[in-house]
Amino acid sequence: MATDARIFRSLLMTLPIFIWSLLMTGFHPGAKFDPVSSTATIFTTLFMTVLFFMMVRTHSTYRWRRIFFVSLGVLFPIGFIYNLVLARGTMGIPIEEMIAGRTPFCFMPIPMLILPAVFTKTIAFPGSIASSSHGIAAMVGLWQALTLVMGKGWCSYACFFGGIEEGVAAIPARAKICKLDPRLRFIPWAVLLAMVLLSLALFEPAYCMWLCPFKAVTEYVASRNLLGLIQNVIFVLLFAGLVIVLPFLTKKRTQCSWLCPFGAFQSIFNKISIFEMKIDKDRCKPCLVCQNSCPNLSLSKESVDRGETLLSCMKCGACVDACPRQAIVWHIKGTQINWKPERARLMFLYGAWALAVMFGGTIIAQGIATILHFVV
Amino acid sequence: MPVFASVGEALLLGLASGPACIAACGPVLVPSLLTERAGFRHHARYLSVFLSVRLLGYMLFAIVAWELGALISLPPAQRLLMMGIVYLLLACILIWYAISARRACAQSCADSKLVQIGEKKIRVLAGAASLGLLTGLNLCPPFLVAGIRAAQLGSMAAALIFFAVFFLGTSIWFVPFVGLGCIVRNQAVITVARMAMVLIALYYLSMGIAMLLGKKTYGY
Repeated sequence: MATDARIFRSLLMTLPIFIWSLLMTGFHPGAKFDPVSSTATIFTTLFMTVLFFMMVRTHSTYRWRRIFFVSLGVLFPIGFIYNLVLARGTMGIPIEEMIAGRTPFCFMPIPMLILPAVFTKTIAFPGSIASSSHGIAAMVGLWQALTLVMGKGWCSYACFFGGIEEGVAAIPARAKICKLDPRLRFIPWAVLLAMVLLSLALFEPAYCMWLCPFKAVTEYVASRNLLGLIQNVIFVLLFAGLVIVLPFLTKKRTQCSWLCPFGAFQSIFNKISIFEMKIDKDRCKPCLVCQNSCPNLSLSKESVDRGETLLSCMKCGACVDACPRQAIVWHIKGTQINWKPERARLMFLYGAWALAVMFGGTIIAQGIATILHFVV
Repeated sequence: MPVFASVGEALLLGLASGPACIAACGPVLVPSLLTERAGFRHHARYLSVFLSVRLLGYMLFAIVAWELGALISLPPAQRLLMMGIVYLLLACILIWYAISARRACAQSCADSKLVQIGEKKIRVLAGAASLGLLTGLNLCPPFLVAGIRAAQLGSMAAALIFFAVFFLGTSIWFVPFVGLGCIVRNQAVITVARMAMVLIALYYLSMGIAMLLGKKTYGY
């Protein structure tokens, strides 16, 4: 196919994403013109569209996705903290406000709330469900539908927490710590199990109260005594260790790999997702470049021998792009291993990028608008 | 109050409080069961020991509290002290359990038959019994409700019967835990359960220390 025709094809394939981005990031025909938010909307729309175009055009996923993901990770706290301070005057939220559910929505406690909801028919959610129940219900519904299709793809295309550590992990040229104990991969499952059980016993989102590193860059419990202070110290230490220091030393997303219970919960959906990564064993000469490139420790020598990734795979595409023999492919379950991998990739990417635009695009637009408020 | 009415009330109270009981005991029971080997019979035996000693804990507390005349109104400071000690002991036992489970696994890795030879029954029984006793002494909300109701009865014997029947009502809710026996045990499951145990132990440890120091753990 001639180059012009390829570009035209790529543009045509990008068109739905352009329209989706425009709608999702705040373009409303007939709405009052606001230069700041309009600039943010236009920039975000172009940003998301160009990245998708490049993914289609270059047949490469990871590096373009990473640009989006790191931007999301950096811009999320900017917009979030600005709004929080604007509304409350502080990032510290009193416990009464938390109990009353007057805190911003967060997806992290979702798996920890299932058992309390089953047993008590009450949701112990640290967020404002009551004030905008339709919006939250729609968001949870969309999350469910997309998760069923994409499995753990959420963690690579929508999570607004993982971008910071992915950005930090991208800074050093080489990892300072290379040998990582494979048993550490089990920690998120243990955290999930412990937090689910403790949340049921205490009827509170135990993870949010004790272990969430991102409290350091979002809202935290306003400490009025020693216990509150200890909680905040834990948040800051976990953030510094797992989101800054260890990603820098290992070039991995250590918080996602070694702590996040939501990621472990999402992994379960990889079992039923129709998309997966497969390793063509005929092509693969186990050089383990894929294992080193995986930001989430989702490849081991044993899994490579089996021709598959581990359950924790986030479908970020790093291994596919890194493989020198093109032995790792995007795959639709039920088809032969080499059945049109590019088509499988694009089918996955349409869903994933739609999710990225819906959750991440709006956040990026908000972050840009916040910066513009200060600059202009 | 007629005996039948009292027994019926205790049973209904137990049945109604069951979900709260398994919520309170779940953080201790689920990971410890997951570190054991698979099999319904083994889990049923473990659960029997756990529940029997939990009943013993109930009775022990009821007798002591009755004798001291404090079944209804245990002073907050003493309650905090007792809870603190129970939490610290629970933390210690959970950590011991997590470490000893590792040893049991190391013994059982060579051959499946070695699992039975190598596994120390004393460890399993002692673990189940100590966890059962401490969860029995844990002043969870259903336990306090039963305590208040039992204290309104005329004699210690009637209160003990009330507690025993209440215990039976709550115990029915524990039967599904036997189902954990059908989860395949491999290195991943045991490691996750052990790690979860340590995390839960750390929580109990921090709560226990805070309670012993007389700090409120809620309210901030």
